[in-house]
Amino acid sequence: MTAAAPVIEARGLVKRYGSTTALDGADFTVGPGVTGLLGANGAGKTTVLGLVLGLHRATEGSVAVLGLDPASAGPEVRARVGYSPEHHTLPPDTRAHDLVRHIAEVHGLPYRDATSRASDALWQVGLGEERYRPIGTMSTGQRQRVKLAQAIVHDPALVLLDEPTDGLDPTQRDDMLALIRRIGTEFGIDIVLSSHLLEEVERICDAAVILADGRVVASGSISELTAGATGTVLVEVDEAADAVAAALRDRGATVTVDGTYLTVSLEGRTGDEVYDVVRDAVVVAGAGIRRLTSRTVTLEQVFLAVGT
Amino acid sequence: MSERLSADARILDRGYRPYTGPRLGVRGAVRSLTRHSIQRVLGIKRVFWAKVLPGLAVFIAYVPAIVFVGISVLFDDLLADNPDLLPGYADYYGFVTAAIVVFAAFVAPELLCTDRRTGMLGLYLASPLTRSTYLAAKALAVLAVLALVTLGPPLFMLIARTVAGTGPDGPAQLATLLARIVLAGAVIAVLQTSLSLAVSAATTRKAVASAAVILILLGSSAVAAALVEGADAPAELLAIDLFGLPFEVVQRIYGETGDNPDAAGLSTGFLVAAYVGWTSLFSAVVWLRYRRLAVTR
Repeated sequence: MTAAAPVIEARGLVKRYGSTTALDGADFTVGPGVTGLLGANGAGKTTVLGLVLGLHRATEGSVAVLGLDPASAGPEVRARVGYSPEHHTLPPDTRAHDLVRHIAEVHGLPYRDATSRASDALWQVGLGEERYRPIGTMSTGQRQRVKLAQAIVHDPALVLLDEPTDGLDPTQRDDMLALIRRIGTEFGIDIVLSSHLLEEVERICDAAVILADGRVVASGSISELTAGATGTVLVEVDEAADAVAAALRDRGATVTVDGTYLTVSLEGRTGDEVYDVVRDAVVVAGAGIRRLTSRTVTLEQVFLAVGT
Repeated sequence: MSERLSADARILDRGYRPYTGPRLGVRGAVRSLTRHSIQRVLGIKRVFWAKVLPGLAVFIAYVPAIVFVGISVLFDDLLADNPDLLPGYADYYGFVTAAIVVFAAFVAPELLCTDRRTGMLGLYLASPLTRSTYLAAKALAVLAVLALVTLGPPLFMLIARTVAGTGPDGPAQLATLLARIVLAGAVIAVLQTSLSLAVSAATTRKAVASAAVILILLGSSAVAAALVEGADAPAELLAIDLFGLPFEVVQRIYGETGDNPDAAGLSTGFLVAAYVGWTSLFSAVVWLRYRRLAVTR
């Protein structure tokens, strides 16, 4: 079985605007599914989106999107990519259906197909009954949905969403996140979700790329970022916790003991390697394992740990 | 039974259908954007008030043509003896300058300023369109709408007179006149398009752009007249008259000179060079402005 081809692959990406360095040697890979692009304001998220869309040329390095170079094959890349911008100011006097159909046409769909797909896309985002309303009469939540509909109307392979929950109340936010997750799973469209909100990335993304000051400070699957990458596991034993701790320390582990619970970490080792060491130590100490699990941290802890 | 079931039926989930049909590429995108822009400017699929100004401008532009055609049909004999009683094709623009200025000031700001203010530019450039093809589509739309008032009325007069039997004699004269009408309409529309696009590229506020276009057109004309007629400056300075310059070129296309005796002394080559220079300058301003415009916010 071969690994799925990367959706986006960036190598040594540098982007300077005059004396300002927006991206400073970013390396990252975005795979299939929903990927969060995390970072504080000014971290370089918008610059990454611009480079992925082929709207700017990288000062150094390269980026490949769906196997194509957006700098030289911009129209081909953009025909297969949907984009929902951060701003809310769509033309207020245009009806939602007219706007979505027009965007479908601009992406190359014939008028008749664009018309039917505009209706479908607006239904999918929950605006079926509201599709003929002028955008100016819609709430912020509805306008966010119109932006999402126009991003998926031409059946793209990849959708870039820039702060899609901005301005939404908690209920609308939950609905929007569920919708994005559905698009990324049921619709088979890969998604890059640019956000500064850790909680929503952790909730719906399969992976994340964390940017700080134009550099990628962490990237990988959410489970790797929040667990495996720390190399720390939590062990509960039935007895002889001190003996198990001693056996672990003999194997180079750092151990803290709290009753029958041991927190174990091994410098430079992750995942299964740590489990193997724990297994061996428990056997040597003659104890039994009640529970063995990775000690998870929140994405926020990862975010803080990498100094963003 | 089946009727009751139909009445109770509800769509719970439409599912997602992948699209496997044709994709028309960049050409389709340009065509769609041009058509959409023309519709927007003319108020098509928009509220009633959006149709008023373009409707009024088109009405103003065509009324003289309709009147002239009516006179030429009703008073055919009188006109046969006095062919100069009605203005010629080259002089027609003097009757519709208001419509031309209104369209020049209104069309490009409506298209460019609105796209930047509402963020539509970002959506367009995230499609197969590039900055160049986007600008080409917008320029085509502005040109097409301006042609409604610079090309349409003389063309209407030609067709109506030809059908009524009061038009040019023979196919050769008809072809020559048709070519002159098309060229003259294009000459006026192209300069106004490039000027209004350049002004609209500088601001996101439509009203400011519209006012600036009118000010530049009428102001440059007033300044040129004051310098040449009032201060005895060289007649070549009439080249800064952005309003009068294309109309003087149009007179030359018809083998005539305009009413301004100072302009009559200028060579056609000089006028054409000035025309091409201004058009190129305004086009370059638009391109330079859009080349580095940030659109992903």
